[in-house]
Amino acid sequence: MGATFLFQARLCLYGLSQSSGIIHLGKMCARTMCTKGIKPGERKSPPRKNDTTIRQTESFKVRQMPSFPTSVFAAGNAKRTTEMLKRKTALASLEQEDAAGDQPRRRGFKTDGLVAPDRPLSPTEWKKQLEEAPCSPERFDVHMMTLLFKTGAELDIAKSLLTFVALETGTMSYQLLLQYLTLCVKGGHDAEALDCYQIMRGAFPALETGASSLFIKAFSRTESWREALPILRDMKKVIAPSTRNYSDIISGALLHGAAAPAWQLYDEVLGEGLTPLPDTWRALFEGGARGGRAEEEGGMSPAEYGERLLGVLGYMRDNQVYPERNLADAIKTWFHSLPGHHWRGEWTTVSPKGVCKGCGSELESIQLTPEEYTHLEARVMADIIQGKDVFQKTTAEELESFKAFVKRKPVFDVVVDGLNVANIVKGRQSEMLLAVVCELERQGLTSLVLGRKHMLRPSASWDRRNMGLIQKKAHCFFTENTSEDDPFLLYATLHSGNHCRFLSRDLMRDHKACLPDALTRRLFFKWQRGHQLVIHGTVAQGRRVGFQMISPYDTIVQSTGVSWHVPYDDSVDRSSYEVPQSWLCLTNKP
Amino acid sequence: MPLEMMGLFSRRVSVELWRLWSVSGTRHFSIGTFPTGQVCSSRSFSSGRYLRTDASQPDQGDKIDLDLWKSVMRSQTAVDESIEEDKEQVKKGDSTDSPSGCVLAATRELVSMWRQAGKLVPDKITDEDVKTLAELTTKSSKKKYLKFLAIREGHKNKSKEKQEKKRAEREQRLAEFPETLENRPPVKNSFLMQYRDHWLDRLLGWRGAQAMNFGQPLVFDMSYEAHMTPQELTNSVSQMLEVESCNRRSLDPFHLHLCNLQPEGGYRQQLVKRYGEDAWDRLLITETPQRHVDVFPQEQLVYLTADSPNVLRTFDPSKVYVVGAMVDRSIQTGRSFATAKRLQMATARLPLDQFLRWEIGAKTLTLDQMIRILLTIKDTGSWEQALAFVPKRKHDGFYQEKRQSERGGTAARDRGDRYPQRDQRERQGSAREPWGAGRGGQDRGVSGKGVGMAWEREYKQPVTRIRSSQNSTSEDRRRTDKTRTPWYQQD
Repeated sequence: MGATFLFQARLCLYGLSQSSGIIHLGKMCARTMCTKGIKPGERKSPPRKNDTTIRQTESFKVRQMPSFPTSVFAAGNAKRTTEMLKRKTALASLEQEDAAGDQPRRRGFKTDGLVAPDRPLSPTEWKKQLEEAPCSPERFDVHMMTLLFKTGAELDIAKSLLTFVALETGTMSYQLLLQYLTLCVKGGHDAEALDCYQIMRGAFPALETGASSLFIKAFSRTESWREALPILRDMKKVIAPSTRNYSDIISGALLHGAAAPAWQLYDEVLGEGLTPLPDTWRALFEGGARGGRAEEEGGMSPAEYGERLLGVLGYMRDNQVYPERNLADAIKTWFHSLPGHHWRGEWTTVSPKGVCKGCGSELESIQLTPEEYTHLEARVMADIIQGKDVFQKTTAEELESFKAFVKRKPVFDVVVDGLNVANIVKGRQSEMLLAVVCELERQGLTSLVLGRKHMLRPSASWDRRNMGLIQKKAHCFFTENTSEDDPFLLYATLHSGNHCRFLSRDLMRDHKACLPDALTRRLFFKWQRGHQLVIHGTVAQGRRVGFQMISPYDTIVQSTGVSWHVPYDDSVDRSSYEVPQSWLCLTNKP
Repeated sequence: MPLEMMGLFSRRVSVELWRLWSVSGTRHFSIGTFPTGQVCSSRSFSSGRYLRTDASQPDQGDKIDLDLWKSVMRSQTAVDESIEEDKEQVKKGDSTDSPSGCVLAATRELVSMWRQAGKLVPDKITDEDVKTLAELTTKSSKKKYLKFLAIREGHKNKSKEKQEKKRAEREQRLAEFPETLENRPPVKNSFLMQYRDHWLDRLLGWRGAQAMNFGQPLVFDMSYEAHMTPQELTNSVSQMLEVESCNRRSLDPFHLHLCNLQPEGGYRQQLVKRYGEDAWDRLLITETPQRHVDVFPQEQLVYLTADSPNVLRTFDPSKVYVVGAMVDRSIQTGRSFATAKRLQMATARLPLDQFLRWEIGAKTLTLDQMIRILLTIKDTGSWEQALAFVPKRKHDGFYQEKRQSERGGTAARDRGDRYPQRDQRERQGSAREPWGAGRGGQDRGVSGKGVGMAWEREYKQPVTRIRSSQNSTSEDRRRTDKTRTPWYQQD
């Protein structure tokens, strides 16, 4: 697998530097893109030809390896790493054996011994079944219906069962009808579901949430989708309807050309603070591509509809939503269908330097604006380090002394998470840390090493000489053994300014979770992607340390007016803290 | 008998009727019971035509009228509706529909429909529970709450049933042998004087009083109310009851201090409610809203917390140990340790890692386990006996073979437990600087005077009712092999 990565990485690089045929990874000296002064709005300029020369003039540089596809934030990386680790520990083989040995889990033991008939039975035959059934006779009907649902039996069989029950008892339990309804809706027998609605409405004083959801689904697929609205209203009295309910009605409305009510419901979903389902968005985009019937009641003018859809893209941008492939398809189709424009969509990827391979334009920078930066710095101090109780992660005196330390020292270029870096190689921790510090020193960077006080106690893994050298080559701060060092790392990095990076393998998810609101968390994640250095590959003794490249562009839905770039999710392995690598590039070329 | 007959009859009737129905349409027919004898309402349908009793057997398959059930249900609806209309009129008459009442009614209706849909829902639900239910925001939380109520109801019903059964049995016995003067069971004659319960209570009371005068204090820090959910608070109050009873019954009780117990707080309210006003007043413990650092001298206090870097090696009778009275179902790492840090108290954790082969679970213990461990270590001085109260599921026995090998002279140096010099040095350090001594070693003791030696003694003579391991058995075998060969045959 490693070989393929290397190969892919080379391929990427190949695309970058057309002049030199063979690239030596070790010599590759990609400069990081410190776009401190550049604001997102200014980035409409065409791609610069002579990229490297411009960037070399900028002050900060760390020798980096290309980020694609091994960056810790690339989609699927976490999954790959776990698989690799599993294989290493030979756990994988064991697990596979387990999986092979495991029988499919037995569920619904109550239906054991029951046999679902393969044709509709007459009541006499049902009676015979009932007498032979191993379960209790009162529950026979429900168990049999469950079995029919599980085996995906035909609707007629279920009907014959209902007839038998109706004849036998003169009535039917709500549960039985509910199961029958599930069968209808699953099989797409909407007319039958509507009949069922009439009957259940008449026979029972109210409907519970399960039946309501099923009816909403069934009604939304038919002409009489408006019937679903009162059901939704009834549901709201006791319970907040789920996004699935809303999604069903919205797609039903759009299917029948009623755009205005659909958008009204969409607003309602947002008003409730819910995140709309991808299916909802897809329905909206597909509805837009079909074109609304503006003249009709409930219709909407195409221009207005388009505005709203752009609003949806804005929502995705604000909430860092990455659409899945089928939704991206719908978006593309909608853009293609826009009359009077010549939108062209293309599935593409982005070069490590942040240039779209489809249209050649440069993507938005990952750097925060100054306001965002100060906001994040304040929040990190208040929520991550101090929190509700300063003593939870540190002590008040220690925090004060650290603040004084940071103020006293010059501005750092790199802050090193000492324990995290050292523990990459078990057994000779101090050597590893020393190697990293030496490398940073060789590159002429001011670095700060954060650690805990127990590192200063000489032992096999913490060699006294090595520790002495480290303290000479870099600034050091050692926290109490009972304090956490990560918050200090974040604070020192943020305090040193936008050019400062931190070096750690830790993804800081527990610290991100301390931030109270989603907006700040997203800001933190954006900052983290732009400022976290990770050691590349394994570090052999006596060899230079390389770092993974930081991607200079932000992975987010973005537009320049003449183009749209939508990152979409095409891998199933993406964890929530990773960003997709594939893009939909839309350009408007007259 | 009659029921069964009825069942047979109705079944036959319905089959007959079905035959008629499927061929020639509806007739007058009645529906009886399922075989179990559950009587259902019988309904009648009529149409203009007569029964044709000589109808032929229906063909199976296509000719079955599959939508028959619909007409049955619809006709039932017609009957029900007329009843419901009456009901609604009554309802409208007497209820003044406030919005909150409307929500409650809708919630109640939802519960009843969920019950019909076969969900786990209690049969009866009080107004208070409905109110709590309506306040829950999500569907899953509602379902969970109803499940909890249903399970509780099940337990209640079970115990009620048992009581009824017992009562019935007793009544039957009384009816058979009425308790008269002649019939009374004979008085037991014994040379031993009967020991009465209140004598024991009095004895325990004396012990408690003595502990309050001369006993070693043990502090429970009740300041974590804000960090617990209502459920967790209830649990911790239950555990506190157990703590108190355990302490009361022990041979040499602690003098329990409940510090930081706010008079108006939920903690105290629940405690008083559980004990009863009188029993709470008579309890031989000290409660105070003051902090422990204000009650006891700083250098005596040791906070017991799982997050402490220091291991408690020996139990020191001159110290005052503090236990945080908190139940955290979702573990809150470092909560009580933060308190200790803020108040600059010495901290310690139990030597779980040193004695137990830990397997799963956090190293947090319940309050009643804590007091059992502390009482035992105080009485016996043996950690093996004390740590027997750690739940068995969390560990796989005590370390034994290691200690045997240490006895044999191949001591593992990494334990760091057996260096009296270092102990001495660290003890001095900890006496001077209760917290934040700068060195912060992994194994700084909180021990008192001369305990290092006592520790050594105990450590070398472990209690042997501990599960043996592979290692030790092989060692034993080797030893026995040696004894089998006589000395003169050995080299």
